[in-house]
Amino acid sequence: MSGNEINRRDFLKFMGIGGASAAALSGCDMPTTVTLEEGKEKVAAYLVPEEYVIPGVGVWFASTCQQCGAGCGVHGRVREGRLLKVEGNPDSAINWGGLCQMGQAGLQGHYNPDRLSKPLVRKNGSLVEVSWNEAWALVEEKTSAVKGDRAAWLTGSVSGHQAALLSKLQDSVGSKNHFVYEVINNRVAEAVNEAMLGEAVPRYRFDKAKAILSFGADFLGTWVSPVHFTYEYAGFRSGDRGVLITVEPKMTLTGANSDLWVAIRPGTEGVLALGIANVLLTKHQVDGSRLPAAARDAIAQYTPDKVTEITGVAGDTVVKIATYLKQRSPSLVLSGASAHDHANGYQSAAAIMMLNVLLGNVGQTIESSGGFPVKELTAKRGSSKALADFAALADQGALDVAFIYGANPVFTAPAHMKFADKLAKVHFKVALTLFADETTAMADVVLPLASPYESWGTMVAAYQPQEMTLGMQQPLMQPLYAETRSFGDVLLALLKKRNAADYQRYDDYYAYLRNAMTQLPAGLRQGKSDAEFWDTTVQKGLLKVSTTAPALKANVPDLTQKTAAAASDFPFHLVPSARLGLWDGRHANLPWLQEAPDQVSKVYWDSWAELHPKTAAQLGVKEGDFIRIESDQGAIEAQVYVFKGVHPEVVAVPMGQGHENYGRYASKRGVNPLKIVSAVTDEKTGEIATHATRVKITKTGKSSQLPRLGGSDRQAGRRLVGTVTADVFRKTEGGSNVA
Amino acid sequence: MDVQAEVPNAVPPVGEHKGDKVPQPIEFPHDIHADKNGINCMYCHTYARRSKVAGIPPTSKCMGCHTVIATDKPRIKQLTEYWEKHEPPQWNKVHDVPDFVHFTHEKHLRRFIFDNEGMDVSRASEVCAFCHGDIKKMTVANKVKPLNMGFCVRCHEKNGGPSDCWKCHK
Ligand code: SF4
Repeated sequence: MSGNEINRRDFLKFMGIGGASAAALSGCDMPTTVTLEEGKEKVAAYLVPEEYVIPGVGVWFASTCQQCGAGCGVHGRVREGRLLKVEGNPDSAINWGGLCQMGQAGLQGHYNPDRLSKPLVRKNGSLVEVSWNEAWALVEEKTSAVKGDRAAWLTGSVSGHQAALLSKLQDSVGSKNHFVYEVINNRVAEAVNEAMLGEAVPRYRFDKAKAILSFGADFLGTWVSPVHFTYEYAGFRSGDRGVLITVEPKMTLTGANSDLWVAIRPGTEGVLALGIANVLLTKHQVDGSRLPAAARDAIAQYTPDKVTEITGVAGDTVVKIATYLKQRSPSLVLSGASAHDHANGYQSAAAIMMLNVLLGNVGQTIESSGGFPVKELTAKRGSSKALADFAALADQGALDVAFIYGANPVFTAPAHMKFADKLAKVHFKVALTLFADETTAMADVVLPLASPYESWGTMVAAYQPQEMTLGMQQPLMQPLYAETRSFGDVLLALLKKRNAADYQRYDDYYAYLRNAMTQLPAGLRQGKSDAEFWDTTVQKGLLKVSTTAPALKANVPDLTQKTAAAASDFPFHLVPSARLGLWDGRHANLPWLQEAPDQVSKVYWDSWAELHPKTAAQLGVKEGDFIRIESDQGAIEAQVYVFKGVHPEVVAVPMGQGHENYGRYASKRGVNPLKIVSAVTDEKTGEIATHATRVKITKTGKSSQLPRLGGSDRQAGRRLVGTVTADVFRKTEGGSNVA
Repeated sequence: MDVQAEVPNAVPPVGEHKGDKVPQPIEFPHDIHADKNGINCMYCHTYARRSKVAGIPPTSKCMGCHTVIATDKPRIKQLTEYWEKHEPPQWNKVHDVPDFVHFTHEKHLRRFIFDNEGMDVSRASEVCAFCHGDIKKMTVANKVKPLNMGFCVRCHEKNGGPSDCWKCHK
């Protein structure tokens, strides 16, 4: 501050400006470098002003969030041509105006200083910047002659017209190789739903339920459509307050909101479900005729005592859960990753869904959505099996070309898959991305994409609430970088080369999309003319779509439960937990989300390992100590966070950190628990069993303070709000003032 | 260089600053426009009464007159070149407050002109002069008022402006 010094006395005077005389403000008259800036900044006026633009006044435009697959509608505030803020679109039935922290942080992806602004091409072993034309010419040269099935696409979930265009592209080259990959998915439950209800993604009516039993379905944080469910949950909790029970090995955000939170030994959730059914049938005389005899036999085996032995859940807790469900009908029973990312995941999920059948919830709190009426626009839902399938094909040398979009498999694939080695066998790899990451580091060509807020598109979320929605994605500002293209534009350009007759007439993806939208069935267009329909859809940011929903089936399959044997060398279970925020690691480069403390542990900017106080005591570790967590696949090190909300046999490490190469905010920070996941898959669906890994824990002797917001996790017996009844008040405090 | 404006119900802020001469792509003469021809400041800085920013006049606004007026003058020729190239001139900003200061032109114009009984809107330049000096007499504008916190706060005290920190710092 030399030259511009404010001394302490002046500063104190100026802090007291309220009643001070003018003389007291001398500190505020100090010329500072900021107030002296003259001629340092440029201002350009409009050449011709837009009628609706007033500089300094924001205009809100509608679009759709792309930060996860839920498809929430957004309104973006644009000022002087710049997007400044996004909020939820109140008209969208998916989020009714809400937006989660990942959605809010979308702007940090858009303006991220690590965004790629030019294509990269591998020359002499390293990636160098080239012009779009040069990169594109190379892509065309290397891919146009490749036989259809020797080319593959590996993408995250895609939907809407981009998905339709991608399948047209696949058709035009005669390839079936589109692998849709998501680590955080609900695939096992979807397979069970398909088999038992006849529909993979039905609607869950939280609003009609009086009790919810969740087996690790973190619907307030990371499960399926969190903003929508949070909204519904608020309704469930108000008025006739519903009861929420959560059963999981590690407390999630949903778990933290429960009335009853139950820690369970990982992989035994199906047994508990059967145990609850057992109590319902024997103690509460629930009518079991909805279930086939084989299912009743399976249930009969699991008495509360046996359930306790297998799951670690106390017998009276089993009875208590059953009682809640019996008393409060209709209820809703859900399952999520911690219940079904196991070798027996499918059986567990089936047993859990059986409870809905037994309790008569199917048709009440679980309804058919009817499915999105335009099939080609429906979401291609991701699975983790897709990654293994892709890797197997690459390993056989069956692929000459791979296009990778919306996924970072080199980071998320478990070490046992040796994914990088297998990917290396693909001769020519094209990555379409906004950022350089672990996967693009292996690519031959990296095409920089325009951000979601610079692109046209449509989105049909896999989960559709009561009011079915097609989300409209419109650019909220001009692209920041001239040499980026939207995903739709890249697909269209590829298609134009392969099927000129049908696509040549579209100058860009906007032209294609606009035309394609006007081809939607007349019923969806509510009798509007092309221009009117397009304008209103873009303006609203969504299209409401109605369908007729058939009744769901309620088949109950074989419920035989298999549980894994105890592994003595590796006494603990690893839970790689998902966080609303970093997700599978894709948002680790957004500083707000790194800075935002985890909802439960309140740790930020790093990884941590949750241990139960008993376990920590046994191991002789305390908060901040580094432990080594070792599986049959390798080891990671993280700082201990001692927490009661975790099963004593579990060590929970969040996903998302541990990047090697993902920009300045994410790289070299924390560890990735997915790396040490054992080579186990769900026997029925082939999904990677991310929660089936057994580990051992050793002390490293290192320790430092855990970066964590907030002091204690407990209220030390105090209530949130102290209350007394009127009677007690009168007796103790009311005195003579009370009539 | 203090302006002794006599805006009713207002005490002009006190303070001076000797600003640098900031070069501009075209030396716009404020005196010819605002003083000699009596054009109201808000005719060109049209957003001042509607927004936090006063706005630099769009090139189309200049051309509105200068396709017919003074077309042979060198500066107008220069302007016409910009117009024909479809490029607005890049002006150098003379008056600026730090990003942590929230200043709105609209509110100040409301207080001193539109909601100020006895004040005629044709005298807007006297109010603008509170913070910008007697720009009407300048050619290229330069900064003659300090626009620092003391300057603002003193004016707020005298004229009954808010003294909450968050009014300006948000
Ligand atoms: S839930 Fe997904 S789509 Fe919705 S706001 Fe969050 S990140 Fe965006």
